[in-house]
Amino acid sequence: MWIEEAEELFKGYLPYYVLIVLPIFIIISPASPVLASHEFPVYRMQHFDLHGMSHGSRSAAVNLEARSLTDWSTSRHCIIVKLQDLSIDHFRNIRQKAGALLVVLPNDLSKLNAEEKQHLLLLEHDMLSQEISVPVYFAIWTSQLETILDEVSQNVATNDLSKSAAEAMISSVAANGYQFVVSPGTTSVKQDVKLATIQGHLPGYNQDGKVPTVAIVAHYDSFGVAPNLSFGADSNGSGVVILLELARLFSTLYSDPKTRGNYNLLFLLTGGGKINYQGSKKWLEDQLDALDGSVIQDASFVMCLDTLSAADSLYMHVSKPPKEGSPASLFFKELKTAADQFSTVTVDGVHKKINLADDILAWEHERFSIRRLPAFTLSTLKSHREMSRGTILDTRKNLDVNKLVQNVKVIAEALSNFVYNVSQGEILGGSLDVDKNYIEAWMDYLTSQPRSPQLLSNKDNALVTFLKDNLNKYLRDVKVSYAVPDKRDPDFLFYDVTKGTVNVYSVKPAIFDLVLTFAIIVYLGVVYLFVQKFSLLYATACSLTSSKIKQN
Amino acid sequence: MTLYHFGNCVALIYVPYYLTYKYSGLSEYGAFWKCIQAGCIYMFTQLAKMLILATFFPDNVSDLGSDVLGEFLKSTVDLADLVGLYVVLAGIPGKGHSKVLTAGIGWATAEVILSRALLLWVGARGAEFDWKYIQKCLESNISLVQHIATATLIWLWSRHDLKSNFKPVVTALLVFSSYKPLLLDLVLKFLLAGPWVGLFVKAVVTLIVGAFTLTIYAGLAQVIGIF
Repeated sequence: MWIEEAEELFKGYLPYYVLIVLPIFIIISPASPVLASHEFPVYRMQHFDLHGMSHGSRSAAVNLEARSLTDWSTSRHCIIVKLQDLSIDHFRNIRQKAGALLVVLPNDLSKLNAEEKQHLLLLEHDMLSQEISVPVYFAIWTSQLETILDEVSQNVATNDLSKSAAEAMISSVAANGYQFVVSPGTTSVKQDVKLATIQGHLPGYNQDGKVPTVAIVAHYDSFGVAPNLSFGADSNGSGVVILLELARLFSTLYSDPKTRGNYNLLFLLTGGGKINYQGSKKWLEDQLDALDGSVIQDASFVMCLDTLSAADSLYMHVSKPPKEGSPASLFFKELKTAADQFSTVTVDGVHKKINLADDILAWEHERFSIRRLPAFTLSTLKSHREMSRGTILDTRKNLDVNKLVQNVKVIAEALSNFVYNVSQGEILGGSLDVDKNYIEAWMDYLTSQPRSPQLLSNKDNALVTFLKDNLNKYLRDVKVSYAVPDKRDPDFLFYDVTKGTVNVYSVKPAIFDLVLTFAIIVYLGVVYLFVQKFSLLYATACSLTSSKIKQN
Repeated sequence: MTLYHFGNCVALIYVPYYLTYKYSGLSEYGAFWKCIQAGCIYMFTQLAKMLILATFFPDNVSDLGSDVLGEFLKSTVDLADLVGLYVVLAGIPGKGHSKVLTAGIGWATAEVILSRALLLWVGARGAEFDWKYIQKCLESNISLVQHIATATLIWLWSRHDLKSNFKPVVTALLVFSSYKPLLLDLVLKFLLAGPWVGLFVKAVVTLIVGAFTLTIYAGLAQVIGIF
């Protein structure tokens, strides 16, 4: 017997414990996950805590079967859906019952029509409105993803009652399934988070000796449903660009003692603006609590710049209407005068009291107004509730640079008229004018990378260093200060894993393997019969040749 | 599920070998060691072939069809397989049936273990499903038939009592079976056939070669009186 011979072989050469080791080896040797047929980069949804409130999707790991929007039923399914097909109702349902969600975004967000954009805004708002326990990912459309979407949606047909039972059975056996695997590791709290705030100033000159200060503030971070997709061109790339342009213009003016203005200009690029202005909060605390007084204490006004390229109409948001004759109201008048040059630009004031019951402040100036500093925010948005202030739609392609340039001109002119106390002065113009190329270059740079606070909060961030170096060219005493969340009672917490890779495996249903086993058994049966009855075949061959031999 | 699929593939690939060994009567001859010997000679032959290939064909990663002559020369190296099989046959004492079957099965088993086991272990156990592995398994089954036929042809070729008018046929079949993979690959490439059709064509061609071999063998066996 073969078995006995094999036994001898085992006795002589292989010990029996190999029979135990081998199954263990099979079990512990890892199945390599790299052999997936498709791999896509995916971007994870926001995941952060703010003032003890949880936001975004709380988990990250996915290892589930892909299903379409109409086909899924349990928490063992990962739903893959195009953005356009995902309604808010669907999403609410998914949030409660599904295993995971992968949203396929169109590869050019600027090509969406107005209705789709509005849909995306509402969806984003709804997604971020409360925490989600399932992992949510975003992927950019590719033709391979389209194939997967198609195949996945075809599986709906299995539940279709119009098909015959045989067809349904065949399709349920032969269906191509997809297994989505994202293994990004654990989502732990990000350590060593630092929100950088960059300040610099231009000293003014006044014969009286006492020089008041005007502060110009813009937060440089962005926000959207996924950190790695928030490019924030308008909000608040535009604010940063205007601040940089103002710094450039006024540094030229202030470099000559003869043309130095009557005001100190303080430039402040704050971090964490999208998480309740944490950067400016920390900076203000540092400044006001410092023993030697700070320039900010005798500020004439603080001007915050936020989202300034969306429209022609400029709004000056205040929490308390400025008194007649105060610097802020003078500036407002200058702004109106400057806007008159452009027929399309309108300037309006918007008054909104600070809601102290609400943890989240509406505009950045409220941080300063709380500390009794005269402050206002300039924006093209009428309300702080506008959803365009934090959306992945806010990309470079969706931004109109001409409007931005126009708004820069209005603000720069108003500020220069105010600082030099001239009316209808022609301070800017000629060689010293708003430079569109400069603005465009900065806008391109800022929107070339996502600027979510969690991505910028690491030590020695490249963007922060770059901004600092550039301010250094124009301003004096450029300093970076950091806002670090409190160890015991943190105001904000970021979580790791903002992007990953989804491995898509094409898999067959379990029933397919059973059918395959059955087919193999039948095949082996045929082989067995063939080998067993080979003598018959041999006999036929013999009879063929023997007849030939006889003929010969 | 994936380990299960691996099991499926292993069953499909190795059970026909076992069945052939068991039910062709070889187990009664105590041919187990001879099979292992044949396997060792297979390994040695492959090593020699690889040395030749590596020495004379340094860039053997060209696309099929671009360099037909080079591919042809490479296939010529496969003639070494025939020499190897001849050595195996010479080393096995005994009658025609058991001799030929032992050589063929030993040779084919060594090939299937050395060239397929790792592929299945790495590939078929993964989460990804691919028909490729099932196809490879079926292909191995075909190559079992092919190797037994080749061994028979070599045995026939080495016989002096083979009728002289069969000699060219046997030689032609031997040469054909050596160049068969290249020829079939070229034909399938120009026909743009899918893997399943390719597999079917291979099976049919191999079965035809096998049928011819069987007929010639049966004729000779009757003449020299082994059954």
